[in-house]
This record gives sequence, C-alpha cells and structure tokens, in this order.
Amino acid sequence: MSDSGNPATGESAATATPAKRDRVFLVVVDDSPERAVALRYASLRVRNGGGRVALLRVMEPAEPMFWAGVGAMMAEERREEAEKVLSGLAAEVQEITGGMPILLIREGDPREALEALLAEDPRISILVLAAAADGGGPGPLISSLVGRNAGRLPLPVTIVPGGLSDAELERVT
Amino acid sequence: MQVYLPIAEMSVDALLLLGIGFGVGWLSGLFGVGGGFLLTPLLILIGIPSPVAVASGANQTIGASVSGLIAQWRRGNVDVRMGLVLLAGGFTGSALGVQLFAALRKMGQVDLAVAIFYVVVLGTVGGLMVMESVRAIVQRRRTGGTPKRHEHFWMHGLPWKMRFRKSRLYISVIPPALVGFAIGILSAVMGVGGGFMLVPAMIYLLGMPTSVVVGTSLFQVVFVATNVTLLQAVQTGSVDVVLTMLLLVGGVAGAQFGAAFGSKLRGEEMRALLGLLVLGVALSLLWGLVRRPDKLFTIGPLL
Repeated sequence: MSDSGNPATGESAATATPAKRDRVFLVVVDDSPERAVALRYASLRVRNGGGRVALLRVMEPAEPMFWAGVGAMMAEERREEAEKVLSGLAAEVQEITGGMPILLIREGDPREALEALLAEDPRISILVLAAAADGGGPGPLISSLVGRNAGRLPLPVTIVPGGLSDAELERVT
Repeated sequence: MQVYLPIAEMSVDALLLLGIGFGVGWLSGLFGVGGGFLLTPLLILIGIPSPVAVASGANQTIGASVSGLIAQWRRGNVDVRMGLVLLAGGFTGSALGVQLFAALRKMGQVDLAVAIFYVVVLGTVGGLMVMESVRAIVQRRRTGGTPKRHEHFWMHGLPWKMRFRKSRLYISVIPPALVGFAIGILSAVMGVGGGFMLVPAMIYLLGMPTSVVVGTSLFQVVFVATNVTLLQAVQTGSVDVVLTMLLLVGGVAGAQFGAAFGSKLRGEEMRALLGLLVLGVALSLLWGLVRRPDKLFTIGPLL
C-alpha cells in the first residue's frame, strides 16, 4: 500500500536487443477484450519500426480492512495477480518484437494513475488505446483522455479500433 | 426527543439512537464490516435490555452488508458455492443459536450469557487488533514480510471433498460448514453478522484467496443475519421495530460517509483506535459483571 508512490516499483528493464529507436509505446492492460488489439498494434509497430512496448497494469486500490494482516495479504495477492498478467502478456510481446517490454504496475484509479505516469515518465512517447468495438462508447479511458483535455496531453495518443483483425493490423502497421 | 420503544418497553432519545447508528454505520462503511459487534454492546450500555439489543443488533448488519454484497457481486468476487456451504452451516447454527437464546431467556440468564460472550469475544478481538496495529505502526519503516498461510492441514484428509472453482480450492465441505455453523451461533447469541470473525477464518482456516473472501463472507452474513432477525422476531418476539428503524436510518447514512472516507485514511491509526474502542466496550461490560449492583435485590415479574 505504502510503496505505490515509488516510481521505481514493478519495473523490469529489458536488457535484450537494443532498440533501433528509443520510442516507447505504452499500452494500458485492463480487462477489456480490446486490450489484445492495442497490444498487438503496439507490438507490430515496434517490430516494423523499432522502439519498445511498455505495459501498464493499474491495480484496484486496497480498501481498508478490519484486520491489518488480511489487508496486507490482500495487497500482496493483488500484486502477484498483476505481475502474473503482465508477465503472460510480456511473453506475447517478446514473441512479436523480440524484446522484453517495460512492465509497470500502479495502484489506484486507472485514469489518474495513467496521467501521473505520463507526467513523471519521460521515456514514454506514444500512448496506444483501443476503442471498444461494440456500440457502448470507446471506453472510459479514451472518453476521459481524448475529450476536452486532449490539447493538454503530454504526448500523442493512437486510438486503435477494437474490431480490427490481425490482417488489418498488419496492413496499417 | 424521547421516543418510546414498544418492545424494549422504555423511552430513549431518538437522536442518541440515530447517532449510534450513524457512528457504527460509519465504521462499517470504513472497514467493510457489519458493525453489530459494536452496536449490540453499545445498546446494552445505554440500558436497552440484552434480549432486545441482541435480537435487534443482527438486523443492523443486514443494511450495511446488502449494499456491500451487491458491489462485490458485480465485480464477481462472490464464491457462490462456498457461500452456500457456509450458509448451510450458518442456517443450522443460527436456528440452534436462537433456541439456545430462547432457553437462556426462559432461565433468566440472557444478560449474563450475552455479557460473558461479549467480554470474551470483544476482549480477544480488541486485543488482537491493538497488537496488530502496534506491530504495523512499528514496522512501517522496516519491511516486514506478511505471514504465509498454512499450506497443509489435518483437514485435508476429511471426506466429502468438493471443488470450489472461484476459491481455487478442493477441500472437504466439513470445515466450511463448521465455520458457518459457529458463526451462525455467534450471530444468534450476540446479535452480530459475524464478518469480523468469518473473514480471518476463511483465509487462515479454509485457505481461500483474499479476493473472494469479502464478497463471500457478505453473502453468508446477509442471509444468516436475516434468518436470525426473522427467528428472533417469531420465536422470542424481541425485535423492536422502532429501535431497528432508527438505527438503520443512522446506519445507512453513516456507511455512505465511511465508505467515501475509507480511501483517504491511514489504516493503522484508525484500526488502533477501533481496537481500543472495542477493548473499552469489553471492559465496561466486564465491569458491569463484577461490580456490586446498586440494588442488591430487585423484585419484578418473571417472563
């Protein structure tokens, strides 16, 4: 709980293949079906044009528990869960790009955590978000980031339609 | 503003009841517990007869637990199968507990039994909480490892194994049913939901993952507390509707504030304070047990 403010937590820098260009595509790993599309798009861009992929997983904030021991165990299990998700996706990214992605774990509200990360981490150059393919709007992150505040973002945002097939993704990257 | 409580047969300040409901609701929103374990002794301390306080106390936890259960259900954090096994034990335990309560009442020993139960349970819980918080505050600077749960137990040799997919467990149904049973008895005799005991039991005894513990315990608490209130109303006739309504109104409002407050607070200090409060309540009940009564002999109608 207390170490969430530390910018160094949860990162494992890759040592493999030096990138041709040091641009970094940030993909937010949530539980939506379209995250796979964003991830694939970013990986293909890196494979074709160089750079690296960064994966951000935002954990639910720990709610206070009646028993401190239970709360500590809960925080630990959430962290393990997040690490498991990220390392699974990291293997996918590595298969496509040949390099290990940067893994980032934050805690709190997804939008706030993302904005804080963008403000403090100068390595990230492009944010890749996938829009939900079904009719219910593009998803909460896109609507809040690319609305009125779009002009004040610190970096360009790429929005990938969630319905693109693998072949179409190959074509546009 | 005095109101007359028809079942408790006494007049109480309505604002006091609203305030108690609010305070307990605030704590329950803050820590995600029902709060019955504080409400019932507080009611006894302001002079509500124990049978009424206990019978009406379980009802308070329903209000707080239902909204919590809905939130957890939406996030898919309820292991329904485990909940049903716990509930089978819980229904049996609470039905038996109400019988026990009715028998104690007939013998005229309810006050004593409830007070002893509370002194023991609150004393233990309060002591553990204070210890835990002190340790956490001391350790904040150092990095302390969290205790690992046991991986193997004698209970893994028990028959009637069942697969609980959400909890990622393959265990006998006997331990969860027994845990549910014990909580059911406590719920009936003490007028609590029992979540504060159920959650650690699920983690440390049953080995459930923490992500489903809160939702599943709320599932059990909602139904067992409903069962207790219903049985107490039917069998002992000691649920006071005016009392429960006033407490619920205060409780629902308080829980909203508590939940909104929860993310902004440091857990350890709050927990230490709550532990001290719990210990204080236990001590004042203990004092009531051992002090020399104001009137050594009283004459009154037997129930």
